[in-house]
Amino acid sequence: MTPRKPVARLGLLLTLPALLLVAFALLLPLGLNLATAVRDPELAATLPRSAALLRQWDGIGLPEDAAFATLAEELHTALEDQRIGSLIARLNFERAGMRTLLLRTARAMPAAPASMALPALDPQWGDPATWHILRRASLGITPLYLLRALDLDLAADGAIIAQPAGQGVFLNLFARSFAIAVVVTGLCVLIGYPVAHAIAGLSPGWGRAAMALVLVPFWISILVRTTAWFILLQHDGPINAALLAFGLIDAPAQLMFTRFAVLLAMVHVLLPFIILPLVGVMRRIDRGLLRAAASLGAPAWRRFAFVYLPLTLPGVGAGALIVFMMAIGFYITPALLGGATDQMVSAAIADYVNGSLNWGMASALSVWLLVGCALIVSAAYYLAPSRR
Amino acid sequence: MKLISRLFASLILLFMLAPLLVVLPLSFSAGPSMTLPIPGLSLRWYQDFFTGARWLLAARNSLIVGTLTTLVATSLGTLAAIGIAIGAPRARLLLAALCLPVVVPSVIAALAIYLAFIRVGLTNSLAGLVLAHSVLGLPYVVLTVLAGTKQFDLGLLRAAASLGASRFIILRRILLPLLAPAIGAGALFAFAISFDELIVALFIAGPEQFTLPRQMLASTREFLSPTLAAAAVLVSLVSLALLGGFALLQRRR
Amino acid sequence: MFRKLVLIACLVATPALARDLTVVAGGGGFQDNARKHLFQGFAQATGQKVVDDIYDGEQAKIAAMVKNHDVTWDVVMVEAPEMVRGCEDGLFEKMDWSIVDKAKFIPNGTATCGAGAVGWGVTVFYDTKRIANGPTTYAQLWDTKTWPGKRLLRNGAKMTLEIALLADGVPAADVYKVLATPAGQDRAFAKLDAIKPNLVWWKSGAQPLQLVGSGDVAFAVGYVGRTAKAAQDGAAYPLLWQTMLFSFDFWTVVKGSPNVTQAMKLVNYMTDAAPLRALAQDWAVSPATTAVAQDPAIRAKNKAMVAEHAADGLFIDTEFWVQYGDDLERRFAAWVAR
Repeated sequence: MTPRKPVARLGLLLTLPALLLVAFALLLPLGLNLATAVRDPELAATLPRSAALLRQWDGIGLPEDAAFATLAEELHTALEDQRIGSLIARLNFERAGMRTLLLRTARAMPAAPASMALPALDPQWGDPATWHILRRASLGITPLYLLRALDLDLAADGAIIAQPAGQGVFLNLFARSFAIAVVVTGLCVLIGYPVAHAIAGLSPGWGRAAMALVLVPFWISILVRTTAWFILLQHDGPINAALLAFGLIDAPAQLMFTRFAVLLAMVHVLLPFIILPLVGVMRRIDRGLLRAAASLGAPAWRRFAFVYLPLTLPGVGAGALIVFMMAIGFYITPALLGGATDQMVSAAIADYVNGSLNWGMASALSVWLLVGCALIVSAAYYLAPSRR
Repeated sequence: MKLISRLFASLILLFMLAPLLVVLPLSFSAGPSMTLPIPGLSLRWYQDFFTGARWLLAARNSLIVGTLTTLVATSLGTLAAIGIAIGAPRARLLLAALCLPVVVPSVIAALAIYLAFIRVGLTNSLAGLVLAHSVLGLPYVVLTVLAGTKQFDLGLLRAAASLGASRFIILRRILLPLLAPAIGAGALFAFAISFDELIVALFIAGPEQFTLPRQMLASTREFLSPTLAAAAVLVSLVSLALLGGFALLQRRR
Repeated sequence: MFRKLVLIACLVATPALARDLTVVAGGGGFQDNARKHLFQGFAQATGQKVVDDIYDGEQAKIAAMVKNHDVTWDVVMVEAPEMVRGCEDGLFEKMDWSIVDKAKFIPNGTATCGAGAVGWGVTVFYDTKRIANGPTTYAQLWDTKTWPGKRLLRNGAKMTLEIALLADGVPAADVYKVLATPAGQDRAFAKLDAIKPNLVWWKSGAQPLQLVGSGDVAFAVGYVGRTAKAAQDGAAYPLLWQTMLFSFDFWTVVKGSPNVTQAMKLVNYMTDAAPLRALAQDWAVSPATTAVAQDPAIRAKNKAMVAEHAADGLFIDTEFWVQYGDDLERRFAAWVAR
């Protein structure tokens, strides 16, 4: 029965504060994140007049003399005012060596330079490629970060090219993150399914106790559980001690900073996330269906494969999706327990924010990560046999 | 077959609890390093925790941030859940929007929040951290309270209205008391989310909002002493207390 | 109830009020002792409250603060190339030489944006209780057959590339000449590739001691000051001065700090002879203040002063890293993640 209009309006009004919070603290920020991945403000902000002249240039040959003079003068001023840093970082990111060139130029230029002073100082100023880079940077938006995040690059003429073989690192990173997430999800499903099945088959009293045992690690924070593994996997820690005591190894094994440690801890952290929904789904399966199948002569394995399993698949799908999404966003666990080659995309994102202050790259990586996750969620939604 | 699967399940449950069970005795170790068997029992690491300025400050900050977050998330979330329950239009869309924080991977949310908050000066501030944690905990409150509204017949509200009760009275005298356990449960959930949150705090918290998770992370890089184990045990105790409260409130419905 | 909520709302909405003078350095035993003698010494002498914090050298934090006009750090201890770069990038205030006495520093102990603080160095060390005779040179450190196990280096191109070239036989005097060429850089990375599976990386200064102590790595290159202190306290770590790479740290004042004058005064105090002498009683510090650096009594007491062993070690070339740092660090970051 449809609610009366005033009640509907009241209902909407009540949800408004919460919606505003989500809009302000998450939706808008996510939009800003997207925008930051393509924003390119540094040159226009540091060298405004040069930016204007560069935008007017048609891109053929070299720009006019006035542009040379203006650029030299504005570089000099920017250095004096200590404003040149962000511009240098942005241009050096696009092409190595720009930092040296720009700083040398800024230092060498007098307050009012002659227009031909620049090429005289350094031949790179006579190369159109240099000017094309500057011109692209004066446009205000750039695809550079998004391209670099996929190991692509912009050639001098603006075409999209692939990065040289040894330089690309992000596709590898995305592939590794994806692979780790898939392996962890697979392991969680393989291990979690029988456990959930066993718990679902328990009598109510035991079932509640077992669920409590699953809930305990679920409620204990991820950091605490990762820290526990950090303590356990030490060279002289309890696990090595136990392995030595049982004679399984001769010398303490290298457990820390390995892929094994990362997978082990991630599976440990994420198991409750698949067991909990699966138990719910399994408990609600109508036993009558299984009995009916039995009465029709189906043996145990057929009952399982053709009745039980298909009925639990939606639960498996939902749980696997949750686990996968969490796994792919994991940052702390690989950072604490893994080696340099076990780091996932999230670590790179955090590094670009807290390490090298390159918001463009951090945003670009997060945009592609979000796109990837959205694709996977959509695929899962459409592949789901029945929609709720 | 059943026995095997039950045995396997028991092993896995043990695996899930094992690290915490091992960290517990380590926190009472009398020796300076974390090896088993422990040389003797001692409370010195707990003492370290409660007398260490950084640990205590972190604990205090976590409690303050958690409490404020709970207030904000619970009040807004409860209102939203009630709104959806009594018949806000496009309830599915509203619910999806409110649950967005759960779907977005935490590092992306943290980055987005950082980029936005830094423009309005909300980083390095208590208000910013509380807002961020509140938006992260909001979905859990909404879902818990919404589940609570399904436990009784909303027709009660219409009946009260037809008897002349004003909306405010209905809210205060009927709805809130009926929802109290669910609201309480949601509040505990929100507190737990804030208390354990690390990634967003890593990005936007300043030195004066240094929380327990950040302190624990920092101490894995500094000298690894069993104080970390003691901290882990204490944090787990808080989580378990919250879990206990949550379960109790759920059962009272 | 309603009043309480309003009160809380007001408290939460209050903007950050004027804050305490904040000094930030790299932590460890140095900072613990500096806190006692330098930071709190200044606090007691002037009545100005001083708070300190620890960071791992991430310039991005400082850059973010300055960029967003939300400066929460006043005085920061920065490595030499980062100090020069930060000066160019507008991260640090130009030193106020009317407050800080320029004459008291050793040659090259001052810069536009920095006042010389202390020298520091890294050396190779390991636990002789686990490994009786370990490597004594970088070439030997690369020998994973004779000495198996993980090697722990600082996560970054700076120092790592020099170490690679030293291990490859380049004489110390030529390291930077070679490293300035593309061929030299390729050579360094190729050398690192040779033992990459055995390499582990640290970011925080306490990690080398922690990981060598726990046995999770066999050999580490870590701050010699901390290693020496640990050895003094009983750990069986050798001090291999011939493997030392060293440089100087500078005190800087963050640009846009609301406490610039007090910050300059703090820097002046921390580089004065008397507080540094007091510090030298508890920690083997290698200051940039001439009076203390050349004091024979202090040099006799602190055998672990970096300056004492400068002849054995390699000085990390500031100008080189100012010029090539960006590109080499980026190449290193890509290499290490592969």
